[in-house]
Order: sequence, then structure tokens, then C-alpha cells
Amino acid sequence: MSNSTRPKIAAVVTTYFKYSHAQHIVDRFLDGYGWNGTHHYPPMDLVSLYVDQIGRTDLSKERASRHPAMKMCTTIAEALTLGGDKLAVDGVVLVGEHGNYPRNEKGQTKYPRYEFFEQIVKVFRSSGRSVPLFSDKHLSWNWEWARKMYDTSRELHFPFMAGSSLPVTWRTPSVEMPLGARISEALCVCYGGVDSYDFHGLETIQCMVERRHGGETGVEWVQAYRGDKFWDALREGVWPRALMDAALTRSHTLTPARPGFNHVFPSDADMRRLVKDPVAYRYQHADGLKCTMLLLAGLVKDFNFAAYVNGGRDPWSTQMYLPMPDGRTTLADFFSPQMNNVEQMFLTGKAAYPIERTLLTTGLTAAGVESLYLGQKRFETPHLAIRYQPTKESTYWRT
Amino acid sequence: MLTRRVFIQTSAFAAAAAQSGQPKRIAIIATIYRYLSHGQHMGDRFLVGYPYAGAWQKPNIKVVSLYVDQKPDGDLSGERAREFDFHVYPTIAETLRCGGSKLAVDGVLVIGEHGNYPRNEKGQVLYPRYEFFEQCVKVFEQDGRAVPVYNDKHLSYSFEKAKAMVDTSRRLRFPMLAGSSIPVTWRLPSIELPLGCDIESAVMVGEGGSDAMDFHALEGLQCMVERRRGGETGVKAVQLLQGDAVWKAMDEGRYAKDLLTAALSRSDTPLGLTEADGRTQDLVASGELQKLVQKPAAYFIEYRDGLKATMLMLDGAIKDFNFAARLKGSPRIWSTQFLLTPEPNVTYSACLMHKAAQMFETGLSPYPVERTLLVSGILESCLTSKIKDHARLETPHLDVIYKAPKESQFART
Repeated sequence: MSNSTRPKIAAVVTTYFKYSHAQHIVDRFLDGYGWNGTHHYPPMDLVSLYVDQIGRTDLSKERASRHPAMKMCTTIAEALTLGGDKLAVDGVVLVGEHGNYPRNEKGQTKYPRYEFFEQIVKVFRSSGRSVPLFSDKHLSWNWEWARKMYDTSRELHFPFMAGSSLPVTWRTPSVEMPLGARISEALCVCYGGVDSYDFHGLETIQCMVERRHGGETGVEWVQAYRGDKFWDALREGVWPRALMDAALTRSHTLTPARPGFNHVFPSDADMRRLVKDPVAYRYQHADGLKCTMLLLAGLVKDFNFAAYVNGGRDPWSTQMYLPMPDGRTTLADFFSPQMNNVEQMFLTGKAAYPIERTLLTTGLTAAGVESLYLGQKRFETPHLAIRYQPTKESTYWRT
Repeated sequence: MLTRRVFIQTSAFAAAAAQSGQPKRIAIIATIYRYLSHGQHMGDRFLVGYPYAGAWQKPNIKVVSLYVDQKPDGDLSGERAREFDFHVYPTIAETLRCGGSKLAVDGVLVIGEHGNYPRNEKGQVLYPRYEFFEQCVKVFEQDGRAVPVYNDKHLSYSFEKAKAMVDTSRRLRFPMLAGSSIPVTWRLPSIELPLGCDIESAVMVGEGGSDAMDFHALEGLQCMVERRRGGETGVKAVQLLQGDAVWKAMDEGRYAKDLLTAALSRSDTPLGLTEADGRTQDLVASGELQKLVQKPAAYFIEYRDGLKATMLMLDGAIKDFNFAARLKGSPRIWSTQFLLTPEPNVTYSACLMHKAAQMFETGLSPYPVERTLLVSGILESCLTSKIKDHARLETPHLDVIYKAPKESQFART
């Protein structure tokens, strides 16, 4: 492929420091990454970068100096038009994660993903042409805005991908939910906080359950549990204990419940002592499937999935493995399969997996937050009647 | 010389006991039992259970006795004995006889890793694994009965001693299992070389120094290449190079740059610029590898059937263990990372103890101890090469012949 035919990509990010999402994502276009047993350089050129907040720890200038073909731009429009009057790139990467943005009264960080999206789309409209777009993590903290982003992508007919790296990273074991499986209950044990890693836990569940018989049918209600109500729910068996236990056996990071022991299975009393702020989102899909996302910060530092599948009595389980650079690794390589899927979209013009997954998990994240805000009341979600079919082919990292 | 024979053997006693529902009684013989020592994290699996295949396993095995050779600060042996209702005995013989007059256990877990033991001139820690084993065998012989033995890591720093151990297990017909967690842990990606494949060349990368982590890297390499056509036939010669000679050997094509690149492409722990600012790196093409590794070491292994493999210790460049090979008739390079999961859980040791539990329960060794015998010998000879001016050494004694297990043994369920 000659240089002239290589797709040109613009990146629009909130901030660019070591181990920020923008650094993980944009660096993979600039410096390549390990893929299929070689150091892979994406067959495309990242030609422009807009950074909303350039702070003391900024790395974008260092990257620009090493990669002079990448132009630093002061506006989003400039990054997309390369200074001209029309859209001049073939794809856009939007990373609205990290940076100093206000939180609202519900605890949501108001990352400007929707605002960035609107500015991108403004260039698409004025140029009479749209190009594929990837938006990192959930679409927006605000459901209405997320829905509008989705509707706009459909109106303008551009390929649109979003979401977490959880659905596409390694799994231990390396297993896929059989397409068309009957699933009665599904659950994820993970860690982190509300309006943050809850989204990753929800995407962990959704990338599996969307493969069930009939495909995705949407979600009818969400109920959050936190603090004492969480422990009450655990005791009352609101979610299947066997699934929770199976998910815990997939963890590589169980906090030892007893001094002198490196790996013991925690009792309920251990969990109460170790997990200071437990959170559960329990929700029901339109076809009756019930799912539970458990944030157990203090007990685990990984993402573990378990479900009852095809009438089996034993839980079906795996871990979505993140090589996390928090001392465990130096490189957040789970961004590699995510960017590889995004590359495929830029090359083929087709989203590698459905945006509806992330539209639904965006709505679930907001609904979980809402349920907590309403005093842990069940929150009806008629707006989440989102139906879609999964990809037949697996898209997670396995080669 | 070892002849080709079936590695799976069943002691009559083990087979008989397997039919009853009584728990298997095991003795643990450890150098030390302190938090995060091998003795503790492996021994504890039989006390508090461990995760495997999506369940918390509690095998029908009871620890009935423990011997610890050294009791450093932080020793947990007495505490464990009180809580889990077994005894710590002052000698190995008493441990195996549980204080009585006859062998009173159904299996022995020997963990001769960690503790304060001298090193020899080759840098090998003189862990008393052979000596522990000999004391176990003395009881077996005196009492007229032998039981399965698991030996952690390499059999001995000395091939001669290691071979004597394996020969004894054959003579007394008891199952034996040994080695590292690397062959049985998760792989990223989850691949196995096809049984009977033709391997053109193989490269393994690791880190962490000698002689501890080089053993793990060599077993990682061996568990992959033993699956080649004809099975394992032994090693003809070895050589260990250090310093600039390692890079010179790369430039001369003694090991393939693209295989090294492939192995490193599987690493999640590149150091240097990645640590500094998070960036991804092609360590080979950029030349950063040579800058980062102050003391490189290359272990060259020439097998008797012609295969040449190289293990590189790259301290300073990476912190994980990765493999790459080129197979005849396969356009792509096969590569994977052996996932060493984080402390303190070190779930990889659960994978290994599950294999030991399987042997104690069934009386069958899930994979051949000859793998570890050969690797013990490769390591010793490489370290001899190191102190003999890095000379290439012929290794006629390493005519270790065995077949890889048909079933994959690494964690994948």
C-alpha cells in the first residue's frame, strides 16, 4: 500500500499523560504494538491530535516531536480538516477519559465525550461526508446524549464503535459463550468505583450474554445495592451465590483474608471486613435474563464472569484478563486487541462489533448511578429496549 | 542410560488405595515454611484448597506430617500444624512414618526451594533435594513400600544426583513428578504446539537470574519443544554465552531475530522507555534491548535430533517469560507468554499443585519426570559452560529419551 492510500486518522483526546487512555490508545497508532507474534504497525497514519488539557505531565508534545507527521491541533475542527475547510481524514479516535472535569451530584464525571462528538459531527455535516469513529468507554455520562450520539451515527450512516477493552482482551480460560446459548443468570465480580469500572463490569457481562438465544432484547429495570443493603442482599441470596463463588475462583488477585496465607477463599465475614464500599447492579433483560455486576474493591483487582448456561448446574466461568500496569505489568496490552478491532473498522468501513452493546451498557451505567441516587430504588428502564444481534465471529484476543 | 519406557507407572499400593474413599495422607518435606516461600504457597494448597477449572478444589488429601529443614524468622510450620491437626517431626524418616515404625503416608511433597543454603562455583544453590529424596527412599526400602513423590523445581543441581533419583523411582516403581509451574500455567495466547510437529528453531526469553529463574525458562522451552516429531531424544551439546557475545550471536544468526521479536511481542513488561512514559516498544528493531540488558546470557541447546534452541535471560528488558518457534510448513511464527500471575495468590502454583494432587489421587504422573531430569542436566551443563570460558560442551550423558503427554497439561479450562 503506498503512503497516499493509507487511511489518515485524527485523534481527539481529553489529556495525554503516562498510562492515560489517550496514551495507551494513540501510542499504539504511533509506535505499534505486539500482535500475532510480531511488532505490528497499523497500516494507517495518525495525522492529527487535539488535546483538550495539556498539563504538567503531558506527553503529547514528546510524541509530536518524535512523530512529526502528526500535527498538534488547537481545535477539534482543525484536527479533522488538517487546517483546510473540509474533512481531511478517514477515521477519528475519540478518547474522553482522564483529565480534570467536574463531577455532578450523582458522582458522574462529566467527560466531554458528547461535546467532542458534536464538534466532530459538525465537520462531517459541513463537509457532506462522514468517516468511521471510535469513542472510548461509554458514550456519555448522560443517557439522552448517548442516545443522540447513536442516532446521529445512524442518520449520517457512519461506522461507529465504542466501549471497553474488557470484551476484547485475553480470557483465562480462553473461552467464548456459544452462540445461541440459553443463559438464565449471569454475573461479574470486579473492582473499582461507580461511573468508572462499573461500566467495564457491565461490558464484561454484556459481551457474553448478547450471544444468548434470540440475541439482545434490552433491559427493563436496574436495582443497585450499596453498603448495608448490599450485605443484606448477599445474605438473602438476591443473586446466585454459586455464580459469585465461581467468579471468585477465576480471580488471580484475591486479597488474602488471613495474615500468613497467600490465597484463601473468603468467608462472608472476610468479605465484610475487606470490602469497604460494595456495590451491586442487578438488572433484568426483556427476555427474563437476570444479571448482576458486583464491585468488590478491596477483595479483587480483576474482572471475572460466571453464568448458568444451557441448563448446566455448574457455573460456566472465565476471567477477562487485563495485564494491568499497576505494578503487575508495565504495558496495558488490553488496549492492543481494542485498537486492532478499531483498525479493522478503519480499513473495512465496518464496525467490528455492534455499537448497540455500548449504547446499552452506557444506559445501564447511568441507570445504576440513578438507582443509587434514588436511595437504591429499583429504576425502570423502558428507554433501554435496545435490541441487537452479536457478531458470529469472536472478537476477543486469542491469537 | 535411560531407555525409552512408559513414564506412567502405578505403585500397587496407590492403585489399591484409590478404590477406597479414605483421604490420601501426605507428608510435606520442605526446606522452609515461611510466607510466600514455595513450601508455604504449595503446601497450603493442601490445607485450604485452591482454585482450578472454575471451582475451589478441596482434594480428598490430608496433610498428616511436616518436616522443615530450617526455621527462619516467620516460620509458620508450628502454627499450621496446630490449626490443621498434624505434626512437625524432627527427621524426614519420622515424618514419613508419622512417628510410628512404618511408612504411614500415601504420598510425599518435597519442596526444596528457599532457605539458607550455600552456592557452588557455578552459582547453583545447593538445595538438599537429592538428600531429602534419599531419606524418603531409605524409608520406602526399609518399610517395603513406596509412594508417589512430587519434587518441586529441578530434581537436583547435579545431573548425576537427578538421574539417580529418577532411576530409583523406576527401580522402586513409584510415580514421580517434578518441575516448574511454567509448563502448566495459563498461556497468552492459549496455544500448544501440535504433537509431532517439525520445529525449525525455538527461542525462549526470561529474566530473574541464575540458578533459579533460568530453570523456569528452560522448562518453559522444554515443555514446548518436547512435542516435536520423534519425541524427546536428548541433548548433544550446550553452551552459555554472556555479555556482548550474546548480541554478536544474534548478528551472526545463531538465533533468529524474528523469533526473538516474536517472543518479546508477547511481553507485557517491557522496561526502559515503557517504564518511563508508558510507550510500546519494538525492543529488537529499536536497539533498546542491548541498552537495557546489562548482563545478557544466552543458553544454546543442541538436541541430538538436530533441533537448536536458545534461551535468553534478559534481565533489565522484561519481567516475564515468552516463547517463539518456527515450524516447518507453517508460515506464521508460533509464540506465547507463560502467564506468571501476580503475588500473593500466585495462582500458577495452584495449577502445579493440582497436578501433584492428581498424582497422589490416581497414582499416575500426568507428565514425564524425564522432562525435569533433562532440564536439570541442561541447566547444570550450561552453568558448567559458563565457568569454563563459555565453551561449547558435549553432553553425551544427556541422552534422556521420552515422549510428551498427548493431552495438553497447561491451564485452559
